[in-house]
Amino acid sequence: MKCLLIASESAEILFHWTDQEFQQNVQEKYSSSQEEGEGLPAFEDIISTLFAPIIISCGTMVYRQGDSYTSFTTENNHIYALCQFDECLYIAVNGDGEEKEDDLRRKLYVLRKITEVMFGMVTLSGSLLRKELRPQDTEQRVRLWKHLQSLVETYNYLRESDQSFLVEAVERLIHPTLCEQCIEFLERRLVQQINSSSLVERAGEEVLHTFILVHTKLLAFYSSRTASTLNTSDLLTLIIMAQNMYPSNVELDEPSPEVQPPISYSKIIYNYLESTSGSGPESFYTPEPSPSSRDSSSSEDSLHTLDIGPPDPSTPRRVFLELKDGQLPMVPHSMYCLPLWPGITLVLLTKVPNIQITRSVYSFLEDFTKLEKCLNEGQAGSGAARGQLNMHNTRSKLDKFIRDLGPSELQVTLFRAHKTNFYISFEIILCLFFYYSLIPLCKSMKTRLCSLYRQRFLTDTGSSDGPRCLSPALQERAQTMVQEKLMDWKDFLLVKSKRNITMVSYPLQKEEFPGLVHFIWVDRSSGQIIAPSLNITERTTSELGKGPVARYIKSKVWGLVRTTRQYLRKGYSTVTLRDGDFYFCYFLWFENENGYKLEAGDIPILPDDSPPIGMLGYDYYRKLLRYYGKNHQGEAVKCYELLTVHLGVIPTEIILQHCRQLASKLWEPSRNPLL
Amino acid sequence: MAELILPDSRRCHYFFLYDGSKVRGEDDPTRKGICYFYPEETPLDKQDLLCSQLAGVGRCVSELSSSQVSTLRLRRCKFAIRMKDDFFWALGCSVDTPTVSVCELLHQLINLFCFYNGPVRMSYELNSRETLATGWTCFLSHLLSAQSPLHYIFSCLRTMDLTNVDPLLLLKAALILQACQRCPLVLAGCIIFKGRVVSTQLSPELTMKVMVHEREMFNKAQRTNGTSAPGSFGCAVSSTGVFLSPPELQNLRSPPVNKDSSSHSSIQKDAMPRRSRLSRTLSDTPSSEPEPSDPTSPHSSQMLSVHPHWSELDNSVFSPAPTQSAAGSTTCSPQAQRPSSSQRRNSHKAEEETLHKSYYQSFHDSTRGVRQIEGEESSTCEGNLHLNGGDGACETEFDFSGPTANVKTVSGDNEASCRSIKDHMTEVKHLTLPHPQTLESNEQNSLIAMTLYVHRVNSLVLALLVEPHFLNDTTSIEEVYHSSLASLNGLEAHLHTISPAAPEPAGQYLFAHYDCIQNTLTTNVSGRAVGAPEHPFVRATSLLHSHFCSTETLQEAIIRSAGTAVYGTRNVAQETFFQQLGGPPRNSGIPNHQDSAFSLPSKARHRLLKHGVNLL
Repeated sequence: MKCLLIASESAEILFHWTDQEFQQNVQEKYSSSQEEGEGLPAFEDIISTLFAPIIISCGTMVYRQGDSYTSFTTENNHIYALCQFDECLYIAVNGDGEEKEDDLRRKLYVLRKITEVMFGMVTLSGSLLRKELRPQDTEQRVRLWKHLQSLVETYNYLRESDQSFLVEAVERLIHPTLCEQCIEFLERRLVQQINSSSLVERAGEEVLHTFILVHTKLLAFYSSRTASTLNTSDLLTLIIMAQNMYPSNVELDEPSPEVQPPISYSKIIYNYLESTSGSGPESFYTPEPSPSSRDSSSSEDSLHTLDIGPPDPSTPRRVFLELKDGQLPMVPHSMYCLPLWPGITLVLLTKVPNIQITRSVYSFLEDFTKLEKCLNEGQAGSGAARGQLNMHNTRSKLDKFIRDLGPSELQVTLFRAHKTNFYISFEIILCLFFYYSLIPLCKSMKTRLCSLYRQRFLTDTGSSDGPRCLSPALQERAQTMVQEKLMDWKDFLLVKSKRNITMVSYPLQKEEFPGLVHFIWVDRSSGQIIAPSLNITERTTSELGKGPVARYIKSKVWGLVRTTRQYLRKGYSTVTLRDGDFYFCYFLWFENENGYKLEAGDIPILPDDSPPIGMLGYDYYRKLLRYYGKNHQGEAVKCYELLTVHLGVIPTEIILQHCRQLASKLWEPSRNPLL
Repeated sequence: MAELILPDSRRCHYFFLYDGSKVRGEDDPTRKGICYFYPEETPLDKQDLLCSQLAGVGRCVSELSSSQVSTLRLRRCKFAIRMKDDFFWALGCSVDTPTVSVCELLHQLINLFCFYNGPVRMSYELNSRETLATGWTCFLSHLLSAQSPLHYIFSCLRTMDLTNVDPLLLLKAALILQACQRCPLVLAGCIIFKGRVVSTQLSPELTMKVMVHEREMFNKAQRTNGTSAPGSFGCAVSSTGVFLSPPELQNLRSPPVNKDSSSHSSIQKDAMPRRSRLSRTLSDTPSSEPEPSDPTSPHSSQMLSVHPHWSELDNSVFSPAPTQSAAGSTTCSPQAQRPSSSQRRNSHKAEEETLHKSYYQSFHDSTRGVRQIEGEESSTCEGNLHLNGGDGACETEFDFSGPTANVKTVSGDNEASCRSIKDHMTEVKHLTLPHPQTLESNEQNSLIAMTLYVHRVNSLVLALLVEPHFLNDTTSIEEVYHSSLASLNGLEAHLHTISPAAPEPAGQYLFAHYDCIQNTLTTNVSGRAVGAPEHPFVRATSLLHSHFCSTETLQEAIIRSAGTAVYGTRNVAQETFFQQLGGPPRNSGIPNHQDSAFSLPSKARHRLLKHGVNLL
């Protein structure tokens, strides 16, 4: 019983995703209230009718009470979470008890993040985003919604099954030698070759980042020297997108645990797999089912049954990523996802030409937002506002900007006309001190800017001179190069990704940590997680046993993460809990670059409906680090988290000693030159 | 003397009752449906806005989920919601208040109203909104005037500081109550001193309800400066009609000794295992051995939900006669005795209003009134009573004799409820019960009218729940009065000499010990000054309490922020919270077993022993 939807202020459904149970439930409800003989309307219309009162009431409360709904619960434990993002209302519903309110809010923020990565600054204009999310053309809408729905499903799946999406940090394969080799290969061979190919062949693009994913884990990541760092939030979103394109089927490619690291053993492994799996290598290489069939919940709705062919693999996805630690958000990039083998993917992120427009558009948007804010605050603040804003400066910048855009495009012409109108009004109105009528003009100026941006970066991929992207030949070359490089390693990598760290391996000898069941260690400054694998599939036995026991422990770990976040939200950075047969510990602490432990500082206390604690939908830890760093100027501050699960019979002092030892041991691998 | 603390405006932002059945048509203004709105000075259009929007959204969500909305949160306010038969209640508190506490408060508030006024629909049909509004205001202010922020979080009873009272006095109080029970018409009671419970035989919920009346009476008496007409017993005795739900009544009527033996069968079936009746002075503390934690048992599944006993009470308060009395209700169908004329309704209504006005009247006045009514139809009354063997049945129930008693109560279930309805009918005819017609015609009613007898001796109050015809029975009244008077005087004199507990030497530690069974709190956090040093403790406690409520398996927790470390532990019967004051040593938040936070459990064990809290 799950549902997710985006609605506009006028209660129009801009996007929805539901699982089958919810859909059935809603349809039954609707049909019971309908007269006999009438057919059911489209599912979208039913949803829209049923949710309309909530959506409209939300608007009324914001408008008249200055407050908005954040959640509802019912006596049968259904939970509704609501978030207002600009002009859109996001609603998530759960009726099966599998998710708590925090999970729902997290889902909404992730959905918001996905739309930002997909549509960039268009999300800053409500009216444009509405058009983007709900295209007039039905077929186009079906295609888009289906894509978004499968992204939501991929995310749901990853959050429920993958520890790195549970804590929202990236997991790396721990194999320093191989990682180093790969990074070197990406740098010296791949990126160099692509970036030095002819300008036509790469359509003016330039590879900035490239990484190899084994399932959801990072084998190697290389950023060119000119690129600014890719933040964790974006990287996690890109992993969701890559997983959505080439989902890894856990049951299928679960190899046997006895596989050893290959030197040149790939042949042996190959034979081994052949003999054990019983179905031969062909089945191993069977193309993965599409994401919608993984959770075969997709509805029978007429909208959904339209068959949409797979996207052309050589067409890149336009993604909008943050640069310079958030100072410049939503800069367009192209993302190429090249499958190497099932479960192993090469991702290239390229810089597209003309991105300086982004910078200008963003700074103008900021100016107009500031102006709008000043206008809203009224005349009292206007003197200061004018001084601060310096509209004349903005104006001359804008003039230059338009000159640079070139004369050809219709959008630009429209924009120019609009701008002129704006300034005429601006000057007249400024004289009249009649600020309020400037606000709508301000708004429409912003919409124009977003629209210009949209036209530049979202719609021009198929212009007259063919798709602007790396040529298919170039892409193929890149793919083959990496395939050749990793050929001997691929089986090992697939195994390794399932058993990246085990509780019996380094650095965790059981003798050293008796009673330790599980742990998760996260470096929040770099967004990396280290944790023993938690495999709960029926076919494999992990150290936690298999089936129910492993599942039980997994559910405890998932619950623990949720609980500790609640305490962290209220300012508690250390939590220990005795729960049933287990003893849980959670610690968050700060260190400087040399590993020196810093004094614990006060952590901000946030309301329950504040953005979720994590790094994917909203980067809480970046904010936390900034907040803490205020008192440690000139020092690079690092933030770490450790969660442990012990058997309850172990004395508390021993447990705490374990935690201390773990924290110092795990500090070392993070120093590994994995980059 | 009952403490008079004005409701903290920050604790409750809004409370309203909205009647959706009054706003059906397009033209009906919203305010037609607003039965009560707190704060009353809220501008009308804001009242309209909140009522219409929340009720509308509530209905929409309820339809989508096929279940009533229970909470509704805004960014700045958190509402507990109750929806029943077109009525919509909303209690809005600040967002820091734990959700469990807000829901519990609303639950208590509605139950209080029903206890004194009967079913809501009926009350509103028979009374003006203004009359009932004073009721809501009174109940609300009572609930919000908690001793300390902690009392508010746990919504618990106010009790005497037992460590400070001679146990013999407590025993004496318990004996007074038991002595009163010798009269078969007396069900159970409690003794209150200066607005705090000394001894009670009632469940925590009932005790809380009874205390409201006591407080109101006291306030009224203070206001009128004791000018109410003295009866032959002095102005000290009064009575009022109250309404009990069938399970509540059943609990009261079953003999206390029998209770323990049946607690594991019948009580669990009733899904009210946590709030059983206990005579807390008799030191029959609940067994602390963990209850069976079989997750499939109805008991533990109830525990998982936020309000274990909520649904049960819901049924009893609002829905038609509960299932266990089905047999009874068929044999003595209320419809059969439905009075025919509507004039009678009016006359009864008038009577009822006068009765309500004489809320705090002298005892003799009320009995006289009763007798007058009785005179009209006394023959039917007697007949009924004898037919049902009302008194006799009552006696046998109190007469506990060996293992057969158990059988008796089980078989007595039907009988009791049947009788309760019969009793109820007779009350309808000629007792204080105000609204006979609606009681019968309105299906939702299953509350049973009873009488609350209150005897005040200065600051000491004896409150007894009695059968309604107790007021007819002069012999019983005199017996109860005279048997208790001397002891009450003595007890009062003794309690008066107890000096208030010396204020804790500040700066050592803070603790709160909550007894979930008796719904009482022992703490050294004072209520008056919400001082800065106590605030972190209150905040941590409220978080941990919510966590304990939502996670059944959680046994203990230590949470620490940069400046505070709080330890919480619980078992089936108790929750204890502890904080060591006096600046925590420097720590870096890294895992360190020498961190002082981890020595809190042993410190708590050690320090709390002298408060009678045993954590071993």
